[in-house]
Amino acid sequence: MTANAEDQELKDRLSLIETMIAEGRRSTGSWGWTFVFWGIAYYVAIAWTAWNHWPWAWLVTMMSAWALCWGIIRSKQKNQLKRNPGTTMGRAIFSIWIAMGVSMALLLPALGFSGRFNQHVFVAVVAAMLGVANGASGMIIRWKAQIAAAFVWWAATVAACFGSDSQCTIVFLVAIFLCQIVFGGYAMVCEARLRKQRGGSND
Amino acid sequence: MTELPELNPVIHGKLRLALLSLLIGVEEAEFTWLRAKTGSTDGNLGAQLLKLEEAGYVAVEKKFVQRKPQTLYRMTDAGREALTEYVQALKQMLGAAIDA
Repeated sequence: MTANAEDQELKDRLSLIETMIAEGRRSTGSWGWTFVFWGIAYYVAIAWTAWNHWPWAWLVTMMSAWALCWGIIRSKQKNQLKRNPGTTMGRAIFSIWIAMGVSMALLLPALGFSGRFNQHVFVAVVAAMLGVANGASGMIIRWKAQIAAAFVWWAATVAACFGSDSQCTIVFLVAIFLCQIVFGGYAMVCEARLRKQRGGSND
Repeated sequence: MTELPELNPVIHGKLRLALLSLLIGVEEAEFTWLRAKTGSTDGNLGAQLLKLEEAGYVAVEKKFVQRKPQTLYRMTDAGREALTEYVQALKQMLGAAIDA
């Protein structure tokens, strides 16, 4: 074998390593629908509360949404022929969202039961937590659209501390629309494009 | 002149190198996923994974999920170290070739 052929062989090996590492880390999980799903769940809870002022409306809607979301995820995983292996990055992002969900599930009912709850505090806390989760996820995967969604939530956090109750509600509704419905829809379009590029496989 | 390192023959096989490179990026992977990513046959893939297992570079776990057998492969610390050393050796050899 000539020296040039040997060099080429070594370069090919390095290239193979790079390609396979990238291939292993490539994540094609589709999570855009969860943003839209939770956006709708927030709207349902807001509409329910506005309709009959039942104090448990948020808790019941969120618990039902958790159960339904978990059921959909499990059923999607079951139907996958080749399940994607977990990556450290994927686990980091998943952990952030789960931890945020647990924090909200503990803090918000506790505020309600202790009588220290009001609409401004509620919107500020929810928006801040969603800002943290979106910001951290966006920075981990270096996705500017998700970092932008985090900035919208952080702006909503600040805005919720000022103004009237109705202004606070409008801020929350707009933030949900932009960061859950619009961003979630955009994520779904991106995921569909990516799947198409990769030959329509779900792996 | 510095002596050039030898390339680890267990890792040097193309399919075995591809498998270790895939496994370094994930926590664990199913046999079917590795087959899809490498495009190899069941027999060849099984044989190469067995060589990596015998060398202590991958660990295997067999279990049943919803009554279906599932074989999971995970890279060991020794495998991680061996792949790192292999890449360093490759780079050193390429560097020496450029300097020559």
